[in-house]
Amino acid sequence: MSPIAFRRMLRRAGILLLTMSAGALVVFFAMKAAPGDPALAALGENARPELVAAFRREHNLDQPVVLQFIAWITGAVRGDFGRSLTLAGGVPVGQLIASRLPVTAFIGFYALILAAGVSLLVGIVAALQRGRFLDTAMTSLAVLGVSMPDFWLGYVLVFFLALNVPLFPSYGFVSPADSLGGALLSGFLPAVAIAAPMAAVFSRVLRAALLDVMHRPYVQVQRSLGHGPAFVFVHSILRNALIPYVTVIGLQVRYLLGGVVVIERVFGIPGLGSLMVDAAFGRDYPVIQACALTFLVIVLLTNLLVDLLCTRLDPRARA
Amino acid sequence: MTGGMLRTLLGNRTLLLGSLVTLVVLLGIVFGPMISPYDAEAMDFIDVLTPPDASHWLGTDSFGRDVLTRVLAGGRISFFASFCGVLLGAAIGTILGMSAAWHGGWREAGLMSACDLLFAFPSFVLALFMMVVLGFGLHNVIIAIGLTYLPIFARLSRNLTRSLMHEPFVQAARLMGQRPARILAVEILPNILSTLLVQASVGVAFGIVMEAGLSFLGLGVQPPTPSLGVILADGREYFQRGPWVLTLTGLVVSVALLGLNLLGDGLRDLTDPRLRKAAGP
Repeated sequence: MSPIAFRRMLRRAGILLLTMSAGALVVFFAMKAAPGDPALAALGENARPELVAAFRREHNLDQPVVLQFIAWITGAVRGDFGRSLTLAGGVPVGQLIASRLPVTAFIGFYALILAAGVSLLVGIVAALQRGRFLDTAMTSLAVLGVSMPDFWLGYVLVFFLALNVPLFPSYGFVSPADSLGGALLSGFLPAVAIAAPMAAVFSRVLRAALLDVMHRPYVQVQRSLGHGPAFVFVHSILRNALIPYVTVIGLQVRYLLGGVVVIERVFGIPGLGSLMVDAAFGRDYPVIQACALTFLVIVLLTNLLVDLLCTRLDPRARA
Repeated sequence: MTGGMLRTLLGNRTLLLGSLVTLVVLLGIVFGPMISPYDAEAMDFIDVLTPPDASHWLGTDSFGRDVLTRVLAGGRISFFASFCGVLLGAAIGTILGMSAAWHGGWREAGLMSACDLLFAFPSFVLALFMMVVLGFGLHNVIIAIGLTYLPIFARLSRNLTRSLMHEPFVQAARLMGQRPARILAVEILPNILSTLLVQASVGVAFGIVMEAGLSFLGLGVQPPTPSLGVILADGREYFQRGPWVLTLTGLVVSVALLGLNLLGDGLRDLTDPRLRKAAGP
């Protein structure tokens, strides 16, 4: 690694850490500004004052806000996010996150791979068949895909597929740790529901990028040198169109994760999203903070990954 | 409408279809609940969960309420929430973005970092978080949608303003001693408005999905107010006994959003000549 590249990496890591800290700050203090007393929310409005006081002491709520923040953030760095206010007599939040994160990661990756695979095929076919029937059909379908609410699609899939084809369960989820095949099967319909709007966006971008690259001078040069159409397509056209494609996939991950949150609830998948929604109902502040922060870290890491991938794809960005 | 505009509209099939569907949807949600022989809230325990027929085009729900009337009334509320939210985010975001671009320095850097931070949260997670902080309900859904769109408009208007700041007509206004606020509002804003409007039209479609998603989970608009998310959530409750409520409501919503998205696509082709050429036949 050259010194310049090393300095760039260092700078990027610094920005990442800074954004994470700013995110932690915002998440914590916004939550503190929320109306309602978490102690009363957990114990009930008519709880005895000494119980409320004990609850406040136990969850560090009786200290000044700044001290609470310092205690929270130093714990968070070590993976200790405090204890849940509502779940099972105060389960450590870090433990909850650790048990839910793999499920969300699995579903998210599953949907991402489905969306990327389908869009790669659709985008290429639409671009090659430009203006013909297949292009029109696929492009129209893509706009429809963007327009359907993903959670509604989830239910329709359950209604028409799961109830008729016994292969896919309509509710519940097999953990990938227990059985990978079972997880792939039970996660298929939710992943399709999340992936559908994503695939539509991705294939539109890929089609536009391919059409843009196809008429560039260097592609003409490649053709004039006598390379076959397949060679030119793979090495000159697709390779260059992949850069905006990968960039958009990276940008859309925040929408994909939003889809995961809703779909997890629809299909009863015990992931981070359903944890956060449950916590929102229970006003379980430590859990909501930890979930929001975990999602933030996932998006930031994905952005970093996409940056690195684009640097690999685009020699100009390597500098 | 001038002849030129009409010709553009007829020449661009995407724009035409999008505007037509959007127009029908807007007429439907404005006048539909008035024309309909039913009341969105009125219960009728004789006609409970009847499948779609001539008198109830989308059937009735578990309280015997006409689903079509409810969808139109709910569409009105969801569209209103999304429109206000996007307007809120667009107005504040554009003011912030334009003035940041004008002043430069730490103000610009600060705003862009704040936008980067908001962009790093999954959009729905940000909205969900805001609902917890603010409390559930229609007004807070509007604020949550606005906050999700604020960074998008702030960044877009900042970039557009920067690209225009050194144009001769802006320099001329500056030399004439006009105040910055006036230059931004009179010289620059009209030039970037079309791009902002395209973004807003797509934003309204996403805002409706966001409202529906939040209310579907029970974190947004609260029943008995019939928003689209509330109706869809209702439909889920008795999905086995009356699948048409959820299925058809979602289908109507999808078609409405399709119209909005096509309208956005068509407007984008129109405002971006580079895309107009690449958009195909």
